[in-house]
Amino acid sequence: MQTEALAIRAEALTKAFEDPQRGTVQAVRELDMECRFGEIYGLLGPNGAGKTTTLRMLGTILAPTSGKALVDGVDVAADPLEVRRRIGFLSSSTGLYPRLTARETLDYFGRLHGMDEQTLAVRVDELIDLFAIRSFQDGRCEGLSTGQRQRVSIARAVLHDPPVLVLDEPTTGLDILASSDMIDFIESRRTDGRCVLFSTHILSEAERLCDRIGVISEGRLLAVGTLEELRQRTGEHWLEDVFKALVRGVAPDPAPRDVGKLGAAP
Amino acid sequence: MKSTSDFRAILAVTHKELLGSIRDRQTAIYTLVLPICLYPIVFWIMIQGFLLVQGQKERTPVEVGLAAMRPEALAEGIHKALTRREPGEPLQSANVVRLESLPGPLDAEGARAWIEGGDRDPLSPEEAEEGRPDAVLFLPTPSDGDEERAQLYYYSTQSRSEIARERIAGRLPTFVAGLRSAAAREAGQDPQELEPVTVRRTNFAPRRDEGAVMLSVILPLLMVVMAVMGAFFPAVDLTAGEKERGTAETTMLLPVPRAAVHQGKILAVCTTAVLATFLNLLALGLSAEHLLAMLSASADVTIELPLLALLAVMPLALLFAFFVSAVLTGFAGLAASFKEGQALLGPVQMIFILPAMVGVIPGIKLSLGWAFVPVVNVVLAFRAMLIAEPLYLEYAVTAGALLLYAWIAIRVAVRLLSRESVTMAGSTIPIRRLLTTLRGTGGTD
Repeated sequence: MQTEALAIRAEALTKAFEDPQRGTVQAVRELDMECRFGEIYGLLGPNGAGKTTTLRMLGTILAPTSGKALVDGVDVAADPLEVRRRIGFLSSSTGLYPRLTARETLDYFGRLHGMDEQTLAVRVDELIDLFAIRSFQDGRCEGLSTGQRQRVSIARAVLHDPPVLVLDEPTTGLDILASSDMIDFIESRRTDGRCVLFSTHILSEAERLCDRIGVISEGRLLAVGTLEELRQRTGEHWLEDVFKALVRGVAPDPAPRDVGKLGAAP
Repeated sequence: MKSTSDFRAILAVTHKELLGSIRDRQTAIYTLVLPICLYPIVFWIMIQGFLLVQGQKERTPVEVGLAAMRPEALAEGIHKALTRREPGEPLQSANVVRLESLPGPLDAEGARAWIEGGDRDPLSPEEAEEGRPDAVLFLPTPSDGDEERAQLYYYSTQSRSEIARERIAGRLPTFVAGLRSAAAREAGQDPQELEPVTVRRTNFAPRRDEGAVMLSVILPLLMVVMAVMGAFFPAVDLTAGEKERGTAETTMLLPVPRAAVHQGKILAVCTTAVLATFLNLLALGLSAEHLLAMLSASADVTIELPLLALLAVMPLALLFAFFVSAVLTGFAGLAASFKEGQALLGPVQMIFILPAMVGVIPGIKLSLGWAFVPVVNVVLAFRAMLIAEPLYLEYAVTAGALLLYAWIAIRVAVRLLSRESVTMAGSTIPIRRLLTTLRGTGGTD
């Protein structure tokens, strides 16, 4: 499955936007991070912190302005196509094509992933059963409920069985049951030895799921560690207080860039 | 898993986008329903309306007041001229002019008073029966050196009065020519000397060729309009509509080159444009036997749908459809929502419609120079094909130029649609920032 020891490595990853009104906006500033296989990594930050931009760069939706990022050993800037083959990406803005049915959506992505018709049919059926889609598989996505759409979206994201899964606020807008299903799904990926990187501002989710947590604010990664490490660093017990302490600069991480250089990466 | 080739990816994207487009009610209506159903119905209604108005006009009898100070014989002559029935005209009351004579002089005020006759409604046939004329013709008695001319008094704003003027204007020249000839003979002159040049028109053009010329004015313009209409909604739907539906980011996750995705979209837009053009022509063709036959009768020409010319123009139409689709898709990509996309493309579509109108101006013919002018070249080439002009070099240059423009347009559109500032824009990018956006960086393959 994975070809590298690290699922995601980013070094000095930077993204700047040109805004007609505000000039150059630094959305992400020299961010370093690493995620391992078999790990669930949570990216926490307030609104506008740079979480989504970071994930979009890793998902090849946005091109980094500078710095480097590798997904499963593949450079996102040098070979974005290969990265897209190795990553499953899901966010609130990766909607389903409303005029396609659930099955057509899966077929479409499968074909573009280069699956032959027989493999595709088997894989789609497998996912349809796994995510309980069969009862509405031939309904157009525009007519599905939020929970049903979420299940189809997850199936779409893991259709090609990617070693790395990037989820941007995956439970936003979901009801309790759908959120619970999503959390179960994320946990199941860890047991499969894959990597899940997800952003959230729901602290209880991070507390429950994450092996390690990165706190990001104003485009900078302020701290990285297990929940216990972050507690020790801030002297706070509850994650909410840990988060506030880090974001408000009470206890900045002395060395959040704890990854090696990427120069030797392929 | 093996990677998908770019061509297969383009086809897969095209297939998916076409499926989505056909399932979109608005696109389906404008691409399929309108051509098949509405256009023939609209044309039929228009032709029926035209024939109805024409028939109504011909059947309307008009009353003309004739004030003549001439000798009785002349008054009788003009009476005959104005009330004569055209050769071959049916006996029923078509093109009837009734006359009421007034022997004596008449000025403008007198004529107005005669026509108006108080507070009557001049459009009422009953009133006309009462002897109030729709127009008044006054023939003064000429005297030596007197340059006074015959006067025709009428109201251009009143339909019956206007019909009366038309009928008088049509019948009077023959009478006047007769008078001149009679006067010449009385004076011992040869009437031919009074009219040194007499033009007798003999048209060698077969009626069918005249029909082809008529079609050569209508069909090329129609082809351009149909291609633009066919591409309009899919172009907006697949770009701005995708942003609005929140699926643009999903599309960016497809494991194929972005260029292939955008080329697939342009191919889908082009397919609907070609489909719309083809269906329009087909619908026109199917209804032609009935509808154009009516036009033929009315216009005294034979109109047949030129199938060979339509087949010949197909390659040009296809290249043109690619050009239109790429331009419209590129521009629509600047919009952030379907509604804004429609507003944006409103003026943009004029860059096709206006040159197409220039292309149907009489006298402009396809030349090597025109063959390089986009839009005008395809219109002129289609025109020339419809009248079977053997301009093979010009056709080839037109095809080459269209191919080049379509290729440039596709390249520019793909580049534009691949910009991060376009795909991730939260608001519509003004057209004035088009070049800045194209020059900008940002965007992955």
